[in-house]
Amino acid sequence: MAGNFWHSSHHQQWLLDKQDLVRERQHDLSILSEEEYQKLFIFFSNLIQILGEQLKLRQQVIATATVYFKRFFARNSLKCIDPLLLAPTSVFLASKVEEFGVTSNTRLITTCQTVVKNKFNYAYSQEFPYRTNHILECEFYLLEHLDCCLIVYQPYRPLLTLVQDVGPDDQLLTLAWRIVNDSLRTDVCLLYPPYQIAIGCLQIACVILQKDLKSWFAELNVDMEKIQEIARYIINLYELWRTYDEKKEIQGLLGKMPKPKAAPQR
Amino acid sequence: MTEKLRRYEKIDFLGEGQFATVYKARDTETDSIVAVKKIKVGSRAEAKDGINRTALREIKLLQELKHDNIIGLLDVFGHKSNVSLVFDFMDTDLEVIIKDSNIVLTSANVKSYMIQTLQGLEYLHFNWILHRDLKPNNLLVNSSGVLKIGDFGLAKFFGSPNRIYTHQVVTRWYRAPELLYGARLYGTGVDMWAIGCILAELLLRLPFLPGESDLDQLTRIFQTLGTPSDETWPGMTDLPDFIQFKPFPGTPLKHIFTAAGDDLLDLITSLLNVNPLERCTCDQALQMPYFSNKPPPTIGSKLPLPMTIRKEPEEKPSLKRKLLESMDGGSLAKRLQF
Repeated sequence: MAGNFWHSSHHQQWLLDKQDLVRERQHDLSILSEEEYQKLFIFFSNLIQILGEQLKLRQQVIATATVYFKRFFARNSLKCIDPLLLAPTSVFLASKVEEFGVTSNTRLITTCQTVVKNKFNYAYSQEFPYRTNHILECEFYLLEHLDCCLIVYQPYRPLLTLVQDVGPDDQLLTLAWRIVNDSLRTDVCLLYPPYQIAIGCLQIACVILQKDLKSWFAELNVDMEKIQEIARYIINLYELWRTYDEKKEIQGLLGKMPKPKAAPQR
Repeated sequence: MTEKLRRYEKIDFLGEGQFATVYKARDTETDSIVAVKKIKVGSRAEAKDGINRTALREIKLLQELKHDNIIGLLDVFGHKSNVSLVFDFMDTDLEVIIKDSNIVLTSANVKSYMIQTLQGLEYLHFNWILHRDLKPNNLLVNSSGVLKIGDFGLAKFFGSPNRIYTHQVVTRWYRAPELLYGARLYGTGVDMWAIGCILAELLLRLPFLPGESDLDQLTRIFQTLGTPSDETWPGMTDLPDFIQFKPFPGTPLKHIFTAAGDDLLDLITSLLNVNPLERCTCDQALQMPYFSNKPPPTIGSKLPLPMTIRKEPEEKPSLKRKLLESMDGGSLAKRLQF
């Protein structure tokens, strides 16, 4: 995405601090443990990812949708809106904002139904309960809670530039790119600017591939402490993943999750 | 959402376009005058598409842009497909000013409008945004003589080499020759061409190239500026909708703009260069001698306005009332603030 990041709403309004997140999540974290909370968000990020892939959206659109979703819940409790409704709504809004052709609402709903039925039946025993009018209503609500800030900068573009600077290395790029995708399952997109996330992911990729770029990193004019924080978030995610079986646990977590009072009307 | 509906009190109907109806309204929270653009809900299929795409484009871009010469988006409210955007209230626009035969536009006035337009557009281009629909009607002017570029319904990011753009943008009279030839990859030149046409219109007080069809538009361009050749516009023949025109010699611009000085003619010439790669950019234009030569541009408050627009802010009486109210009940310290 073009434009000027330093003057963007992303930089000026939507780089939150850790304390904000802790405060806003107080209610949800009185019901769920921090780990359970994170597991739920991993689940919904996966849902958005798969929805996007089924709709043949580009990763940029999927990433934007995920950030919308996370931004909404950074300011609201899970009981405000069922995340199962907000996830497709985020995808719908992101595909329009990123000018990605036309994703018709009907197709979106059908895709939700198939995805929930075929890929997430371990989480939901019932069919996808929402219809077009729910998405439309939710879309405006989402727009409002995003403070109309729709342009999201992603780490993918800075990552391309950085890898080019290191010297073309497809293996490194592919791995770092996948780590950026994974980083969407942590809070880093709410806390750090995308170029720092790109550097953090690149660093992890270097460690995995045992590629020694110490001198290259040393020459970057960047706050290395921040990069370490980002890397920590992502490594924590990988550690969580090692012992976590979503298929076994998610139904229990979804049951425990704070919910809106009224059930959706058909 | 309903409290927002109540927040803006409708005062007057301002106009209706293809996508929206615009009202003048009072923001009861700040007691200021604003423009509310209510997006029309078209067909049922369109309603199903949720928040209107044109409105979304305006919201996403204007939320990122803050400049004196760019219209400010103040608020967004609505429900489902029914969206309203709240903007700075602007009293008039350049089209009205150009058409108003009671208004005399001096060269200092024209220079002021041009500087303001170019500064706003420079900021847009600097942020990699093309406006793509510049015309006098979208250059809004308020009672303090500040010009703001409005209507971002067609605006778009540019610079990604793999993005294909539609050439069906820009109202025909202001459409650059590369668009008329069907170019799908274009840049800031399309906005610069439109600025050239608007400058010409400010001088002539009539549309400069009022083509009746796309073909007629090209004919008028070449009749006026001369038919380009492979030397003056390399690559022209490769454009998708290219057609060979008979070679017109073109009319010397000083015969058209008889009152214009050489510095102004230079500016027009570089804005209306048929070859988009040779056309000047905003910062090049602003660096040209015309803008530093005499006369200096008129300051905003001295710019001529249509007679229907009072120069005094309309809130004066209510401000007075407020003053009186505060004198009645307020403390001395409070009174001194006014």
